[in-house]
Amino acid sequence: MDSLHAIGFYVSAALAGVGGILLAFLHGHWHRALALGAVGLGAAGIYASLSAGFAAVVVLVCYTGCALLVARPDYRTVEPGAAGLWRQIGGVGAALLLVVLAYAAFRGRFAHATFYGGPLNSVSVARLLFARDALATEAVAGVVLVALVGAAIAWRRERPRDEREARR
Amino acid sequence: MSVTLVSVLFVAAGLTALGAFIAAWKRELTAALTGLPVMFAGAGVAFVGVARFGAVSGAPALGQEVAVLLAIAALAAVGLGVGLAGRESSR
Repeated sequence: MDSLHAIGFYVSAALAGVGGILLAFLHGHWHRALALGAVGLGAAGIYASLSAGFAAVVVLVCYTGCALLVARPDYRTVEPGAAGLWRQIGGVGAALLLVVLAYAAFRGRFAHATFYGGPLNSVSVARLLFARDALATEAVAGVVLVALVGAAIAWRRERPRDEREARR
Repeated sequence: MSVTLVSVLFVAAGLTALGAFIAAWKRELTAALTGLPVMFAGAGVAFVGVARFGAVSGAPALGQEVAVLLAIAALAAVGLGVGLAGRESSR
């Protein structure tokens, strides 16, 4: 890997990290959508610098969609009312997760090999998606279908009620 | 300056832990939901890194395939969550 790809990797990793931190601490759904877009841009840059161009394009499209969903004008919030203690326990748990994962990454004995499949590498990925692991692709397609149908039903049921409230 | 599998896994660990922190820390349910794509991005980075640096046998593009599937699953989860949040909050 040349130094240009290495610089791209570290810059993209920093962008994704900063976007994630902003996502955690910013208020307002517009700001969170921008931060989520930054995370997606950073992840796409990481993939591109690791010579996974096709995955980078897909991640960019999907995370842009996530950011647009969060930035919708009729975005609504749900307050579950979780106690502060549980949030703090969750934060400590996330820090412990970071320590464990970093330790595993540092101490792991990995077989070193190099694979370069071209700038986009879409042919081999598509061959895996639609031939070798077609069942996994269909499972994810089923998840997406259920999610889209559920979201569409939820939105469509609410719209007439909103219009009635607006008329009042 | 070079990139190794260990540095890729460090970045993946950071993103995954950051996503878990967002999901645990945010008070709003829909804001906590945005931690899920960050966690999935971390997992995808780990898969792509292993496919790039550690694939000695089998299909070397398998990690990229999993990253693609994770990104699509993240989009579906956020879409469903935002839709359900809009339904729940207006009750």
